[in-house]
Amino acid sequence: MIVAERRALSEILKNIEPFEKIMVLGCRGCVAICSAGGDREVAILAEAIRLGRELQGKPIEVEEETFIRQCDPEYLEPLREIKNRVEAIVSLACGVGVNLIADLYPEIRVYPGVDTTFYGANLSLGEWVERCRGCGDCIIDLTAGLCPIARCAKNLLNGPCGGSKGGRCEVKAEMPCIWHEIVERLFKRGELEKLLELWPAKDWRPAGGDGLRIRVREDLRDR
Amino acid sequence: MEQKSFLQQALESGRFVVTAEIGPPRNADAEIIKEKARILKGYVDAVNITDCQTAIVRLSSLASAVLIMSEGLEPVLQMTCRDRNRIGIQADLLGASALGIKNLLCLTGDHPKFGNHPQAKPVFDLDSIQLLNLVKGLKNGRFDNGEEIKGVRPYFFLGAAENPFAEPYDFRPYRLAKKVKAGAQFIQTQIIYNVERFRKFMERCQDLGLLDRVYILAGVTPPKSLGMAKYMKYHVPGLEVPEEIIKRLESAKDKREEGLQIAVEIIQQVRDIPGVRGVHIMAIEWEEAVPEIVKRAGLEVKERAYEICAPFVVEKVVEKIVEKPVEVVVEKLVEKVVEKPVEVVLERIVEKEIPLEVEMGGERLPLATLIEVLANLKASLMNIKTGMEALEEGIAKLEEEFLGKREPRPVVRKIPKKPETLIEEGRPVKEEEVREAKPEVEEVIEVVEERTLAEVELREEEKVEQYEKPKLEVREEVKLELKEEVKIEELKPKEEGLQVRPISGIEIRGFKGEYRPLSERASKIPQDLYIERATGEIREVVIGRGDKVLRCGGVSAINFHFFEGEMRNGVKIAMEILDVKPEDWPEGLAKYFEDVYHDPALWAKKCVEVYGAEALCLYLLGTDPNYLNLPADHAKKVAEKVVSAVDVPLLIWGSGNAEKDVEVLREVADVVGERGALIGPVVEANHRTLAAVAMGYNIPVIASSPIDVNLAKQLNILLENMGLGLEKILMDPSIGALGYGIEYTYSVMERIRLAGLFAQDTKLQVPFICSIGKEVWKTKEASLPSDNLMGEAEARGVLMEALTGVILAIAGGDLLIMRHPKAIELCKFLFNALSLS
Repeated sequence: MIVAERRALSEILKNIEPFEKIMVLGCRGCVAICSAGGDREVAILAEAIRLGRELQGKPIEVEEETFIRQCDPEYLEPLREIKNRVEAIVSLACGVGVNLIADLYPEIRVYPGVDTTFYGANLSLGEWVERCRGCGDCIIDLTAGLCPIARCAKNLLNGPCGGSKGGRCEVKAEMPCIWHEIVERLFKRGELEKLLELWPAKDWRPAGGDGLRIRVREDLRDR
Repeated sequence: MEQKSFLQQALESGRFVVTAEIGPPRNADAEIIKEKARILKGYVDAVNITDCQTAIVRLSSLASAVLIMSEGLEPVLQMTCRDRNRIGIQADLLGASALGIKNLLCLTGDHPKFGNHPQAKPVFDLDSIQLLNLVKGLKNGRFDNGEEIKGVRPYFFLGAAENPFAEPYDFRPYRLAKKVKAGAQFIQTQIIYNVERFRKFMERCQDLGLLDRVYILAGVTPPKSLGMAKYMKYHVPGLEVPEEIIKRLESAKDKREEGLQIAVEIIQQVRDIPGVRGVHIMAIEWEEAVPEIVKRAGLEVKERAYEICAPFVVEKVVEKIVEKPVEVVVEKLVEKVVEKPVEVVLERIVEKEIPLEVEMGGERLPLATLIEVLANLKASLMNIKTGMEALEEGIAKLEEEFLGKREPRPVVRKIPKKPETLIEEGRPVKEEEVREAKPEVEEVIEVVEERTLAEVELREEEKVEQYEKPKLEVREEVKLELKEEVKIEELKPKEEGLQVRPISGIEIRGFKGEYRPLSERASKIPQDLYIERATGEIREVVIGRGDKVLRCGGVSAINFHFFEGEMRNGVKIAMEILDVKPEDWPEGLAKYFEDVYHDPALWAKKCVEVYGAEALCLYLLGTDPNYLNLPADHAKKVAEKVVSAVDVPLLIWGSGNAEKDVEVLREVADVVGERGALIGPVVEANHRTLAAVAMGYNIPVIASSPIDVNLAKQLNILLENMGLGLEKILMDPSIGALGYGIEYTYSVMERIRLAGLFAQDTKLQVPFICSIGKEVWKTKEASLPSDNLMGEAEARGVLMEALTGVILAIAGGDLLIMRHPKAIELCKFLFNALSLS
């Protein structure tokens, strides 16, 4: 899922400083699952904003709303009404949602309520760890399912650097050296030859080096 | 342009080669690089130029390599993938080749996290193996995209690094094989200390048939100091330093000499390993070591000096550098190197080899004159240096004279156990006086002791026996009585039997209700609404040495705000004892110590063994000129007794008379210095001398200032200017007891603490010490008798002391000095309660 994290309250308060009526708008997609922008977080943030503004001596009216998703135009329809009632929207969706609102409703002042961080897995309650970088050219078929692009700090492609120690990464010691794990697994599977191949320099265009990435499926498009 | 580098030629000739390493400076000073090159010239076949090693910005490796060549030394250009993508890398490589650089070492590079710009975007478009492959392509006339290079192709003798000591060990030889496959012609290994592991690595390489296809240079580094060896062992990933090396350095007298010896021995060992074709000596910021190692390892080669004369004509650079901008020079170099065959260039060198004149500012000077001028300059510099040293010595002598002792010189620190010699050395003139004065002093002490003892109890010996013999029994009694007393609910006014009992009937009851942690109570409020994390941290000060030390400070939040940071050491309490019998202690306090008043050693023992004191504060009240004015020698004797009686950390608190304290604390430091005791109070008037004493014994001090933020800060600065580190200072803000100005104390302490934690005021990031007992027990209320209005006397005193303690701990107090055992118990109980969070 896309993992996000609520921004500092002071940032949010600064953005909405001139307004007296706003809406905190959540999303029931990824950000709800990673506890950054679902119904519950909307309620908490709305309350915090009210409290914060009260402390500043400038009370504010905060509406609370959560959409099923913010990355599909049809779910954003209610904004046609909402935009007449509030001066600004703080969206707790990932950056995709905020952008889509800004695209479709240019007259709405929309501010991000979260920082969108990475594509991660929920390893345990309250812990998310990056697992994919969306580089557009999947190579994990060759690396025992473990991605060196996302999980090696230097995104190396030809094996571990000289800083791996005790199977730990030198850049972030709490993380395993992913190349160490890849090597061990492939050794065990007897697929050493995969490691001995020279891995050519990666083409970074599918990772976004080519400009905005677009995917089209002609068969599904409206004619 | 396939002119082979000298390094390649030397390796191909089968000679055992030596390469070294130069780290460019963190500025634009070409002279630094040239100087380093001059040190190495003639001793190495080529020298590596690092590419912003450990991700710290430095003069670029490419420019440095050109400067090295101007000194007639052959560079190995290091290139990493950290800062450039494949476009930048290829451009730089074409440039390097055009400038005549012929050796290239391809590295992935250290992650920016380890450098001085951790915010930078790491590039890593390629890794080291892909880089090798790319260079191989360039040599074959193809860019990385497959496009053909039309015109001159770059040529490099291509190298890579490999680390036999990084896990997974089994994979390392294969990785080396990959590098060879990608184009590596030589390998420089990671620093070798574990020769056995390296030998195994080489055997595996042999098995894989690599040793015929690549030259391997063994990496060697002379450890410059024990600290460096330990740093490499524990902090450099992928570097193995066996315990044996550490031990050798530890026991060596001359660490540098031992470091050189270690390097030489390793070279001799690796030289015999099949496949090792040379060594790569990395003497980090210690270039002078390289010639020495080369000589001792017997690697000096005569022909090197001839070979290394750069093919690249540099005489123009030498000539023009004074007056013309560098661009011109570079143009010339490029022209020559690219266009003209080497032979011609060599001829030119021969022609120009010994220029007899040098052009300077338009004038032509004979070379000899220039050499003379430079030599003169160097000599003058040396003179200035000697002058500085003489000045320093003079200042030291002055200090000696004024301070009377030599302790501030760290060299003398090692012999604090010889008081007589020190006195004789430090004050030669007064030698006789001192000797004459001694007996007098002793007499005085005897008199005083007799007097105080007489006041306490005439039968001194009996008393001592009473306490010393049944030590264990006494403790048992105490415990039993405690249990009994706990049952008594009311605070009973004391009756006749109390005097005998060590602990009175004051009971500490618990709190009612159940504690709910803050995070639970505030669960509905976002944390950033109530949490304000400090940006600074209060330093940790260590009192004492060895097993029993007292650590104070180390606080990263307002005291007890555990939801915002930590209090690593909590609030510490030292129990106060006196050097003389106290005269004004109210009965409720006195009764706990009356039996040991006569002997500070017993007093100290009782505090530790019966009341569990974790530290003791010896208050030298008797030395106060306004009280008994006892001499320094008395204080010294008392300190000796206490030191030999207990092993807990000690605090020594002088009389507070600035002049007398210098005299007294200097003597006492001689006794307690080895124990690492805390001494004070140091005030502005005597900070110079006492700072010197503290530095001499390497002990911490109490910096005492009249209750004021700026004065506290100023004293810390003064002490720091004297050379005493802030980690050796505890601040005594001068406190007031409950009802005697505690509000003001609180406010000042709080302001100091907030400045340290939140306003980056580093000079105030020092823990507080508060002398609570002194202030509380001299108040009128603490000694008024029990009556209906004021309640029971002892309980009143205990509550006053405990409340003062808790209030000041909340204000920021880190180390409290207290007197009453029950007050201490109560304080600890409350601190525990405050620590729930």
